[in-house]
Amino acid sequence: MFAFDGGYDPGQASHTVLLELRRTIERHPAVQHASGEPPGQFIRVVATLDPAILGSEADEGTLTLRWYAGEAADTDPEFAFHYSESSGFDCGWHHEPNPHVDGWAHYQERLSADDEYEYEAVSFDSLQPVPLLWGILDRLETRLTDR
Amino acid sequence: MTDESGAELWKEHQSAFDRVRAVAVTISEPKPADWIAEQAHVAGNTARDHLQRLVEMNVLRTATGGTATRYEPDPLYTRMQALRDLLDNRDRDALLELRGDLQEQVEEWQTEYDADSPSGLRERAAHVDTAEATREMRRTANDWDIITYRLELVEDAIEHYSDYAGSTPAPA
Repeated sequence: MFAFDGGYDPGQASHTVLLELRRTIERHPAVQHASGEPPGQFIRVVATLDPAILGSEADEGTLTLRWYAGEAADTDPEFAFHYSESSGFDCGWHHEPNPHVDGWAHYQERLSADDEYEYEAVSFDSLQPVPLLWGILDRLETRLTDR
Repeated sequence: MTDESGAELWKEHQSAFDRVRAVAVTISEPKPADWIAEQAHVAGNTARDHLQRLVEMNVLRTATGGTATRYEPDPLYTRMQALRDLLDNRDRDALLELRGDLQEQVEEWQTEYDADSPSGLRERAAHVDTAEATREMRRTANDWDIITYRLELVEDAIEHYSDYAGSTPAPA
């Protein structure tokens, strides 16, 4: 992303992605509403979902999206797409430094807040935010349906 | 694991034009049409047509240098979108209040971490005892970068409020 002076601004690049993610996620039929959170700060996007459309029996679900575009224009982004629902189950696809798997890309889930997370290394076809979002929404539906 | 069915899901809910736009406005470096086409799951010629339209609409601009034409977001469009979001449902008083909240958050981090900027915090993060503390501080530095940008936008919106909102502010 390009600041007015032509330089790279990680805050601008990240925020631009968050705005676009909020816009595009509302096109998914399971998403009832998406907003920038905390109100005014807009450092993440929180989408309210209808879990039934994704194959879950829970009453309520949310998907929280964090995105940091990287300190320089050519560095990899850090991000998390994390789902949680009223049953207590939560899971997410993350790309960030972590002690659990080799590399940044991983999936984590637990049955309830009292359980330990289980981690698994994963790979992503694309690190572009919008293609990635749709890929993860698809994986989420697969996971919730199989559960 | 491939994301082929994710691509199908995306195609079902966003048009080729919307997909090209969504990819092109979120890139950090200028990219050629074929690269954008691949990411957006459209044919090369389709992408070129849509990219040309987006340039005409001042959403994108073409980058100079290199052999193939490369596209990047128009910085004025990026700025305008962010300001639009900020000005939706917020009057001048709400913007002033938001500026105060954002400044307060920055001051909290400055005090908590004894750092004056996100890059200062990253430097400190590299020298703490545990890897977990390092990760937490780096994540805060990321948030701080975003808040810094938001603060700059809010300042802009306050300064040019009557121009952007298309109305004269009420007398104090």
